[in-house]
Amino acid sequence: MQRLINIIIQFKEYFLLNLLIVISFILLASNDTKQIKAIRSYTVGFIGLVQNTMATIPNVFELQRENELLRKLNISLSDEVNRLREAKIENEQLRKMLEFKEKSQYQLVSADVIGKSLHLLKNTITLNAGEKDGVQVDMPIISEQGIVGRVVVVSSNYSIGQLIINKDFRTSVKIQRSRVDGILAWDGSDYLLMKNVSKKQDVLLGDLVITSEYSRVFPPQIKVGVVAEVSEDAVSLFKNIKITPIVNMTKLEQVFVIKTTADTERVAIENRLKKK
Amino acid sequence: MMNKHIKLIFISIFLIVVQTTVIRYLTLEGIIPDLLLILIVYISITQGQMSGTLYGFGIGLLFDLITGGVLGISSLSKAIAGFVSGYFFSENKIELTLGSYRFLLILLFVSSIHNLIYFLIFVQGSEINTLYAISNVGLTSALYTTTVSILIVLIFARKYSLKI
Repeated sequence: MQRLINIIIQFKEYFLLNLLIVISFILLASNDTKQIKAIRSYTVGFIGLVQNTMATIPNVFELQRENELLRKLNISLSDEVNRLREAKIENEQLRKMLEFKEKSQYQLVSADVIGKSLHLLKNTITLNAGEKDGVQVDMPIISEQGIVGRVVVVSSNYSIGQLIINKDFRTSVKIQRSRVDGILAWDGSDYLLMKNVSKKQDVLLGDLVITSEYSRVFPPQIKVGVVAEVSEDAVSLFKNIKITPIVNMTKLEQVFVIKTTADTERVAIENRLKKK
Repeated sequence: MMNKHIKLIFISIFLIVVQTTVIRYLTLEGIIPDLLLILIVYISITQGQMSGTLYGFGIGLLFDLITGGVLGISSLSKAIAGFVSGYFFSENKIELTLGSYRFLLILLFVSSIHNLIYFLIFVQGSEINTLYAISNVGLTSALYTTTVSILIVLIFARKYSLKI
């Protein structure tokens, strides 16, 4: 026994490393357990407080550039508002005439991005909105331009969002013009990928990609990006489609969480089919 | 001794917060320096292999917890990083290592190993090409982290009146 203890003491560094490697692998295998989610929620709540304070440190250069951009945007938006007012009046008249009900708007929760982990392709954001604001796991995150990601961890006052430029992110999308469906994924580059689109389908450069009705998380018709490259491999049945994201993730400062969760009846019936 | 560890724990938490907030202003082509890795290498060189490994694991675990994503990936890669950098611990040469190009070489080496382990696990089950991740992100990140640490080496060189 004493000999064993001596050996352990002599090689304590190696034993420690092995122990920690084993613990890490156990953690890697148990990422979705309730206990891990609870610990994560408490940690996010604690660190979120500190991050919130740190996030207020202004970046002078960024602010100057943003100010300039906002001024330009303001001018073009004023012009657009005038045109939209005209269009709205015309639209309302037409709606009344056709007795169409106005589509209901999504309920949005606004949130500031108080932390970003863009390190080593991790790509998550911390938001200063949590359970108290009605945010739940799997709620979509958008900006005024388009899709940003989805909520993966929530504490009382903070939440973590998985960006669309995250290796684990997947959602159903479609080409707005030709209604061709596909799966959105990310390959680690500056582009997103639209997978599972057969070579026969109609996809052109510049086509707008939007979320489709098949997604359990995202409402349909949210802008995703623009087709930047379409190519074909002789060995594959599918097209290689690269998409430029419509939202610049590095400059993300304010976002909205859509207060919508998956249709439980739909999920249940789909799961039942999967089990058969 | 206890005070030293309390101080290191506070520095670790502070740097984790910095790593997820203000450090984004140092982004170059989507790459940011890994301040946590610099701290782990520093701990290994000044406190030894055991401390480096333990701190690496702890810091990595906390970082995984607060950034979402795969839990255990940073704790594993950072524990190994702490362990590897512990081989460069020499009680009589701490000042010389911290205040010279040696620290930069150690950091570059450890950072490359860290990123290699990280990406070998990270890219599994994704569309990301392993070779692309290791060469384009892993190596550039290691170089950027090493470049940022030049400042730290200069501070130590001045503190210990050494010539780099």
